[in-house]
Amino acid sequence: MHSLTPTAVRLIDFYDDGEHARHFTFRLLNTASQTTEVQGDWMKAKTGQFFMLCLPSVGEAPFTFTQLPDQHGNFRALVRKIGRVTSALFELEAGQILGAKGPYGKGWPMDQVCNKRVLVVGGGCGLAPLVGVVNQLIEQKTYTQLMVVYGARNRQAKMLRPERSDWQRHIPVFNMIENGDTEPGENESGGTPVDILPTVLGQFDESPDVVLLAGPQAMMFAVAKYLVASGVTEQSIYLSIERRMHCGVRTCGHCYLKDKYVCSDGPTFRWDDLKRYIPAGS
Amino acid sequence: MQQYVLHSLQQLQAHLSQSRQLYQVVDNHGDAYWQHQAQPPFPVLSQQRPLSSAKSFFFAEQETLYVFDGQFFRETIPKPEPFVLFGVQSCDLMAIHYQDIFFEQDPYYQARRQQALLVGVDCVHPCQNGFCNLVDAGPGVRDNTADLILHPLDDDRWLLIVVTEPGRAALQGLALTPATGHAQNLRSDNLTQCEHEFDDHSYILEGIEKLNRDQAPDAFWQQLAIQCIACSGCTTLCPTCSCYGTQNQAVLQDAPDKPPSQARQVRFWDSCLYEGFQREASLHHPAEQAGERVKRFWYHKFSDDFLPEFGRYGCVGCGRCEQTCPGVIGVHSVMKRIEKDA
Repeated sequence: MHSLTPTAVRLIDFYDDGEHARHFTFRLLNTASQTTEVQGDWMKAKTGQFFMLCLPSVGEAPFTFTQLPDQHGNFRALVRKIGRVTSALFELEAGQILGAKGPYGKGWPMDQVCNKRVLVVGGGCGLAPLVGVVNQLIEQKTYTQLMVVYGARNRQAKMLRPERSDWQRHIPVFNMIENGDTEPGENESGGTPVDILPTVLGQFDESPDVVLLAGPQAMMFAVAKYLVASGVTEQSIYLSIERRMHCGVRTCGHCYLKDKYVCSDGPTFRWDDLKRYIPAGS
Repeated sequence: MQQYVLHSLQQLQAHLSQSRQLYQVVDNHGDAYWQHQAQPPFPVLSQQRPLSSAKSFFFAEQETLYVFDGQFFRETIPKPEPFVLFGVQSCDLMAIHYQDIFFEQDPYYQARRQQALLVGVDCVHPCQNGFCNLVDAGPGVRDNTADLILHPLDDDRWLLIVVTEPGRAALQGLALTPATGHAQNLRSDNLTQCEHEFDDHSYILEGIEKLNRDQAPDAFWQQLAIQCIACSGCTTLCPTCSCYGTQNQAVLQDAPDKPPSQARQVRFWDSCLYEGFQREASLHHPAEQAGERVKRFWYHKFSDDFLPEFGRYGCVGCGRCEQTCPGVIGVHSVMKRIEKDA
């Protein structure tokens, strides 16, 4: 049976990262009501999965992990203040008890990512679900080639600055600012992720084996279409899709894609599959 | 399967109500509704299809999923007494079977479902708007959807068919007369006769085919959606619709400027036809056009894509959507237009 009841977590700390965005660290609380099975599920979380954060009397919302639960039960998420739940979250102080359910969904196909030529493309806070992948590949040195493209609409919308700076010491990172308002010394170019793709593909020894995309749907679709037109196979492109995940266990219906549910069949989908679920122009 | 002839339905109702809460459909000023029946004399079985299906007995229209006491979250799974739904028609039984699959892992649904005994009743005449015969849901009760099946014979006698072990156990202590082959043949003849009494609804089958060939263009659905006022009448009355929303509510707030010390989450029936159903916090809306939402609703009912999971369509042919839709886009109207226009 599914459990629809959250487990208690404590808000440990947070720090700002870009306009209206913060990294939050939570800690799973060991409680009598939390079964070992539930604890085990959290410790087996995979990068690319998500969890529901529950603010009592306010609501629940889905967030991806930027750091999976460690041995102390600590995990992190990047949250953009955009709705009722996130606005209330930004009002909280460290120490507050909240709820969390999960982990839910399918993560990135790590068995197909390691020791390959990997291209990662993230837009805005959509880079968050990709942070764990890039960190893991770099830390474990399990890649043949690895490049990251990051796109932001403007200077204020840039996020994950420390992570991108750190990655840059190991791999090529291409930062794109859509409105051209680049900052000196920040390794940035004006334009969208699609604009830099010819350059990026030119730096791969061969066509990337795996491409991971997350961010605004229009950006991901544009990138995927360009890559396929450039010779990357549809089967090697994976996308993380955003929908109104409400229950996490494919019963509430809000996150449907044809006969699939993003909360359990996704949020990561292969491009050739996803094209069948999302009507053209969506 | 054991089969008996009942000389009095009252006898069975009284027996089952001794150990369970008994619910039965009764006529009420032209409509029929599920009602709790506490004691004899029990009403005769209604010939009408109830306006509301048995859906809410298992999937509550509104219920608390958990409470927060300031420190911990506690689930609130219901603990209902055993109950019997007496006289469920075949279409609604098939819908329960469908929901059983959908909510197989839902502890709140299953807590109620496991306490229920289902007594089905065969329909011997088609109901208004009904087309259960086209979608493998009736008019006879399917063996895998009920614990006991009733079929009207003659002279107020009933054929009683025992389908499941819980059904057999529920009859213990009741003196029953084994049925003859004649009674069983009569059931078969009556159901065959009933099938012949259905109007020609072949446009529904043709509509389903066209829908699955994606022959209804987006413009068709947009045009259709003009008539949809998103009242949720169809999704509320549809016995297989199961979308829900949740809301977190403060239960106890010590001071206006402090977070509430106690809270709960409530889930409630939702509708995929509501404009805000899929809208995200970022205001991105993957089904912004009403036509997309209307298309999705009918796709969910009749797409072949759902057959592997459920083994059948998501429509059981009860016709309630046609009965309730103020915009006249219930199943018959929509399928006629798909068959004709798309």
